[in-house]
Amino acid sequence: MSAATWRSTFTFNKYSQITAAAVRKSLKETQRLAAEKRGLTALRYQVWENGKGGEQITLDPTQESDPKKKTAAV
Amino acid sequence: MFARRTVARVVAQPSLLAAPSNARNMATLREIELRLKSVRNIEKITKSMKMIASTKLAKAQRAMQAGKLYGEANAEVFETAKEGATGSKKLFLVISSDKGLCGGIHSSVTKATRRAFNNAPDSPLPGVSVEPDSPVMVIGDKSKAQISRVYPNNLRLTFNQIGRDVPTFADAASVADLVVKSGVEYDSVVIIYNSFVSAISYEAAAMEVKGEKALKESEGFKKYEMEDDFTKDLAEFSLANALYSALTEAHSCEISARRNAMDNASKNAGDMIGSLTMQYNRGRQAAITNELVDIITGASAL
Repeated sequence: MSAATWRSTFTFNKYSQITAAAVRKSLKETQRLAAEKRGLTALRYQVWENGKGGEQITLDPTQESDPKKKTAAV
Repeated sequence: MFARRTVARVVAQPSLLAAPSNARNMATLREIELRLKSVRNIEKITKSMKMIASTKLAKAQRAMQAGKLYGEANAEVFETAKEGATGSKKLFLVISSDKGLCGGIHSSVTKATRRAFNNAPDSPLPGVSVEPDSPVMVIGDKSKAQISRVYPNNLRLTFNQIGRDVPTFADAASVADLVVKSGVEYDSVVIIYNSFVSAISYEAAAMEVKGEKALKESEGFKKYEMEDDFTKDLAEFSLANALYSALTEAHSCEISARRNAMDNASKNAGDMIGSLTMQYNRGRQAAITNELVDIITGASAL
């Protein structure tokens, strides 16, 4: 197969994150737990137009931490 | 964040001797005691925040050393892909964080962005003129609030929830992904972040990441023959790399600034405790002396 078809759907960064997640899932148990931490992101973003922000969109809702668990650590 | 208790000063019993007109109103012992208690609590809190920041600093610095290598590798690519036609549409990506109590971190980055926009002599992009309608994207709520007051119409996208823990490459890749997908047009991305000078100082700096067009038109690239065109991928990936390097460095700066700010706060709180304790003891002794005087004069009248 010549050209990959993923280019029409997502960017290279998304592609590399998906493949990285696949590699992490395939590791042995101890290494996997260490590697999973490197793939975590709780990113949220907001689109702005004319000086007004839209609503916050969570990129990956499955990774949102429990809201009840609050720590005093900054 | 820590509300300062305004203690209502109660005027002491007016003495029969003429009081100096600028005499400080004597706070009662009760009020000094309350104030002392609250300052002691604050000192405990700032001390523990300083401890936490110190322990986090070691980890953050290690991550920064590792992350910087990504940034250097990136810079190499752009070194060899030197000048071509430089389109000048710049997208500014400002890196700060969501939490406060870290000294001047957020305002340092915001001020650097303003200097760049005003083409000031000490702008982080020396000698480069910036269009006033350049798009701006912000990572971190604190800078978002500051920038939305100054350049609200330049904002396109803002991000948060980064910086709680050491930033991961997943964070950087997701941000880069969103930047590219947002449809904002640019020729290069200027990342404004705080660079780590030492454990007690930092300064705002800018990192420029060229976009796809500039890479394609540069001399170095034309020397290579490519069947499939990967330039777009390279541009996106190099943006993620540069972002990762800047994020880890900014995170390190923030933690060290927080450590220093909490250290200063604890010192100040300690000083306040000292002076308040003096005041309390003086007041206590004055009250005892007054009582003694009353008793003695009373006794001498019998």
